[in-house]
Amino acid sequence: MPLSEVYIGEQYRDSGWFGVFMTLLVAAFVLVNIRRARGGKDLYIRRIAGLNAIDEAIGRATEMGKPVLMVPGLSDTINAIAVQAVNIFAYVSRIAARFANPILLCCYNAAVYTYAQETIRDVYQSEGVADRYDPDSVRFVSDRQFAFAAGVSGLILREQTAATFFLGEFYAESLIFAETANSIGAIQVASSTETTQTPFFIAACDYVLIGDEFYAASAYLTRQPVLVGSLVGQDWSKLMIILMIVFGTILNTFEIQGKTTSERTKGVWSQIPERNKKQSDTFMSQLFKPQLEKVKVERPIDPNYVPEGEAAK
Amino acid sequence: MIPLLQAQAPATSFWSEAFNSSELWTKLIITLIVGLVVMVGLLYAPIRARKPIVAFFTFISGAYWVLLYLWPKPIDRQPGEMPLNTVETVSFWLADSNNVVVSFTQILTGFLLGLGIFSLLKIHLTKISKGHKDAFFSIVLLASMGLMIWFGYADWFDRLGERGAMLDNRDNWGFTQYGRDFLFEGLLQQMDAAMFSVIAFYILSAAYRAFRVRSVEATILLSAALLVLLSLMGAVSFVWDENVKAIANGNPFILNFQLTEVAQWIRNTFQTSSIRGIQFGVGLGALAMGLRLWLSLEKPGSGS
Repeated sequence: MPLSEVYIGEQYRDSGWFGVFMTLLVAAFVLVNIRRARGGKDLYIRRIAGLNAIDEAIGRATEMGKPVLMVPGLSDTINAIAVQAVNIFAYVSRIAARFANPILLCCYNAAVYTYAQETIRDVYQSEGVADRYDPDSVRFVSDRQFAFAAGVSGLILREQTAATFFLGEFYAESLIFAETANSIGAIQVASSTETTQTPFFIAACDYVLIGDEFYAASAYLTRQPVLVGSLVGQDWSKLMIILMIVFGTILNTFEIQGKTTSERTKGVWSQIPERNKKQSDTFMSQLFKPQLEKVKVERPIDPNYVPEGEAAK
Repeated sequence: MIPLLQAQAPATSFWSEAFNSSELWTKLIITLIVGLVVMVGLLYAPIRARKPIVAFFTFISGAYWVLLYLWPKPIDRQPGEMPLNTVETVSFWLADSNNVVVSFTQILTGFLLGLGIFSLLKIHLTKISKGHKDAFFSIVLLASMGLMIWFGYADWFDRLGERGAMLDNRDNWGFTQYGRDFLFEGLLQQMDAAMFSVIAFYILSAAYRAFRVRSVEATILLSAALLVLLSLMGAVSFVWDENVKAIANGNPFILNFQLTEVAQWIRNTFQTSSIRGIQFGVGLGALAMGLRLWLSLEKPGSGS
């Protein structure tokens, strides 16, 4: 293999560059649209029923004089999902603060807990009702999945919450939360980034944000140019993916009819007796599945290097 | 000491000094001092300057991961090898620093866990001191937490010593090991399993509500679910499929109506494509969110 090909980097070999290219393209779409939105361009967002229900849920809780419960999922650390969940809860808390409605925000992760506490405190301060903020309303429950599930379920039953928001990363405990809240008649808005849990929420909750509706929430609720632009960038990316699927389907349909006399295994082409083309022979399959040929690169050895086994002796 | 041991990276890393060596301690102390200076600096920084400082550190931290993803990764790298050129020097450094960067996250999480425990103590001690009606549960929680911490650490220290290897054999266990085993394996694990089992009952009640024939959509959902459920029942699918085979008499079109085929078609055609569609949306959303956070375009609590 020529030296120039060896040094392009492991991830760019064969069609590996394609994934990186697509990622950069999506990033470019998002940034371009943020710029457009900041420039005053009016960008449209469709109606999302689950988000319209937030005000209704808080209003109901206020009428009943019962708390609103929020759970930002079971993220192991502060990630994009947890931050987005807390962002939505900031909106919920703002409305609750205006109506002097008690809130409860239960955290699974200590890092998310500190972030949520700061954010919610800021919300109360910016609303000018810092005295209404109860530091114990944002609480760390447990970082063990079912201990957390038991803790939150107990809280729902004891406090008889009128509205519950489960937004973020949920796993097996999703149905425990949703059914417990359902059993006391709480109005529920939920969303899980885990597709396996979405059906459980759909079965048990009043409103469910599916897939990227969860990420669209902040843009929908606040109409901030940065968020709206970013959302339109995501839509452009989705359009690109749809076009690629259509193009790939048509191409595969024609390609799969033909025959082939060559096959590539682990990046190496070899001649084979003529046979019908398989899916792995098609252009799209090979584009999305880089086949990396084993390459040997000779490098100098560090004179100070001690192999692991010898170091232990 | 354990996190530092784990943080030791291969030869090219800044932290790769011998364990407990003066060089490593010097670097650690210097880093601690720099950290304290940065922290004090941040505390006394003018409020207007805080945002750019936070944005700068966010960008630098995020840039590491972006670079790790985009920078050409070394091909066929073996232990002890030295980089061939500048590109490889950077890629070796990025790869070797990974353990250290990940350790930063773990150390931060360790500190933050302290805040989490403080929150728990504050809430439950207040409940106990005020004689709240649920104070008994708070006492149980705090006692369980204290006992678990004590037994956990006592057992860990025992295993660090010379007796550590002997403790793999249950016959050599003492009070500490039995205590830890009772609390962790005997109580906590079993209670976890019990909570997990409860889901089965919740699935039943949720399914009952979801699968009622209320609208066209609910009826389609019910029919599809019923077919998939029946296909998973061995006896039902066997009888159905055998009957279809007998009717089909080799006709490939009619063979498509075997229960297992229909269920597979539902899964492959509708379920998989729907899930992938949702996953595309979630992935794009996470990428856009990550980009906004990295470039500090997103401010905390921007949902409000």
